[in-house]
Amino acid sequence: MLEIILIGPLIVGISIFLLPIRTGRYLMAATGVWNLGVAIYIWRVQPRAFLDQYFRLSPEGLLVLLLTSFLFAVVSFYCLGYLEHEKLSKERFFNGSMLFFLAAMCMATIADHVIIFWIAIETTTLASAPLILFNRTKGSLEAAWKYILICSVGIALALLGTLLMTISMDAVDVESSLFFSEFAKVAGQLDKTWLKAGFVFILVGYGTKMGLAPMHTWLPDAHSEAASPASALLSGALLNCAYLGILKTTNILEAAQLGDFARNVLIGFGLLSVFVSATFIMKQTDYKRLLAYSSIENMGIIAIGTGVGGFAAYGAMLHLIHHSLIKSSLFLSSGNILLAYGSKLIDQTGNMARQFPKTFFCFMGGFVGIVGFPPFGIFFSELIIILGAFQKGRYFVLAALLCFLLFISAGLAKYVISMSFSQTENTACLVEKPLLYVPQMILLLVSIILCFWMPESLSRVIIQSGTGIIGVLNG
Amino acid sequence: MISPYDTILMLLFLSVLLAFASSRILTMIKVISFQGVAVSIVPILQNSDLSTSSLVFGSIMLTIRGIVIPGLLVFAVRKISIKREVEPLIGYHFSIFVGLLLIGFSFFISSKFQFPDSQASLLTMPAAITVFVGGLFLLMARHKAITMLIGYMMLENGIYIIGASFSRHKHHVVEFVILLDVLVGIMIMGIVLYNIKRTFDDIDTTLLRKLKD
Repeated sequence: MLEIILIGPLIVGISIFLLPIRTGRYLMAATGVWNLGVAIYIWRVQPRAFLDQYFRLSPEGLLVLLLTSFLFAVVSFYCLGYLEHEKLSKERFFNGSMLFFLAAMCMATIADHVIIFWIAIETTTLASAPLILFNRTKGSLEAAWKYILICSVGIALALLGTLLMTISMDAVDVESSLFFSEFAKVAGQLDKTWLKAGFVFILVGYGTKMGLAPMHTWLPDAHSEAASPASALLSGALLNCAYLGILKTTNILEAAQLGDFARNVLIGFGLLSVFVSATFIMKQTDYKRLLAYSSIENMGIIAIGTGVGGFAAYGAMLHLIHHSLIKSSLFLSSGNILLAYGSKLIDQTGNMARQFPKTFFCFMGGFVGIVGFPPFGIFFSELIIILGAFQKGRYFVLAALLCFLLFISAGLAKYVISMSFSQTENTACLVEKPLLYVPQMILLLVSIILCFWMPESLSRVIIQSGTGIIGVLNG
Repeated sequence: MISPYDTILMLLFLSVLLAFASSRILTMIKVISFQGVAVSIVPILQNSDLSTSSLVFGSIMLTIRGIVIPGLLVFAVRKISIKREVEPLIGYHFSIFVGLLLIGFSFFISSKFQFPDSQASLLTMPAAITVFVGGLFLLMARHKAITMLIGYMMLENGIYIIGASFSRHKHHVVEFVILLDVLVGIMIMGIVLYNIKRTFDDIDTTLLRKLKD
């Protein structure tokens, strides 16, 4: 039953190549809604998989599945408006790849088997490469080449890590199936050397895909060259799927009494990511790259939260949700800006507040959210991570994180204000139809609502997803 | 007496050195093809109890790794008409030296791990590490995009030896799907490569320097 979630988009994705372009566009939006419906059904009923030797639901997978389906539904409606303006030469390719991409991400969320999960993540790379490539400009070719090569090599390392993990089971003659959840159950008996080696490779491998520094080099190129709806999905949904692999492996190490080792490595990569994005955000000429570096920063924060553990790990899961919502909204708004000004350079834009008030409203809202001002969710998630770090006595991590965050906020503010209010000679035109701004507003609104009203089932799933790293929360 | 798979493993070491020393891309593709055949045969030779399914899957692996993928690479080389890697980042002589160091290093690392008691030969792990790191080295040390593809394939071969020889959780369907993923990956990279050649008129990755901060 569970497999419906990936079979649906797959079938529609294939059929889109045979149908007229406009029909395909609407079909994609319909599939987005259908997929969200199936995800909600799965969330409530939690059915067993038909191929239950490969697929199984896990709390963290469930969370990312719902988030991914929701984002895709919203983004597919934005596409209806976006594709009216942006004339793509091979739109069927674009729509088809979007759906294949969705299918691959859904597969990653329900695959609890370590190797099937790897296959799903590799498939997301393959399905999303055409989304970056389709412009066929020099820049997009370069970005696509870097993306597919760096991610494939990175993920190959994750495969090695996965194999080392299975060897850790064989080396001590433990018999168990290769599910992440089963690994965690027998973790205490596993061979520690192999397990550690496996973790390092998995962290580097899936960390490449998640955009952790220093393996992040593909990310700004790919996110800036992809079409904006695709950038929104790459940043909002794909990075989470890669994080799933790291989270699940960290849970195993926690169960194997190697938690300290895993945490320190995670914090190291996390701090480096935040530092790298702080240095690059300060001096940036391209607003989509600016947003891409902000994604690296947020992935770093999530890694730090996971590494600190306890209360902060709960914050990291919240951060994951809110980052997806807000960053996708920002990338969609950046799509409007690109349509209006025809350039990705910050210098070429300006006076957005007067010329395009609705896009400005969404973009500014997203900016306020992403740097962590209330009433958006990132304010609370960052606060929780900071409090968690205090609680655990990680003062150095805390100080460094806050310092970098300050620089990042300053850098982002400088450019966003320049884009919104400075004068420009560039004549821009764009009719702001509802489909071009309502999706962003919905995403931002959901982030606000989740701060004040969190459904009980959602908070339960969040706590279950990090049983290892969150531990028992007080109260 | 030297068993046949020890001989194959020794040849794997030499194949890495040959790939390091070669400037001709066709030679490197031949190396990849040989490695593909070797890594598909080694697990079969190591396994004393052969079943029909493992033979069938072994031959599918052999076909894809040894014939289909190298065939695709040869096709790509014809299409983009680039025969040599000129001015590599790290010279050929130094590359061979690195290769020798790498072989020593792989034996050293292998001695640090406690292996599950499998029928694998003592040479298996060093050979796997050499092929794997050798692939990584080619990825870093060469400019042409096609050589990087070859490096990626070599890396993948190295990982396959480790998986097939040491993990007891062999699952032919899963292995097959992994290979399918790799195959599609190679094809997409080939398409990007072709487009790079058409747009830039070369596949030197030093040309891909436009996007940076």
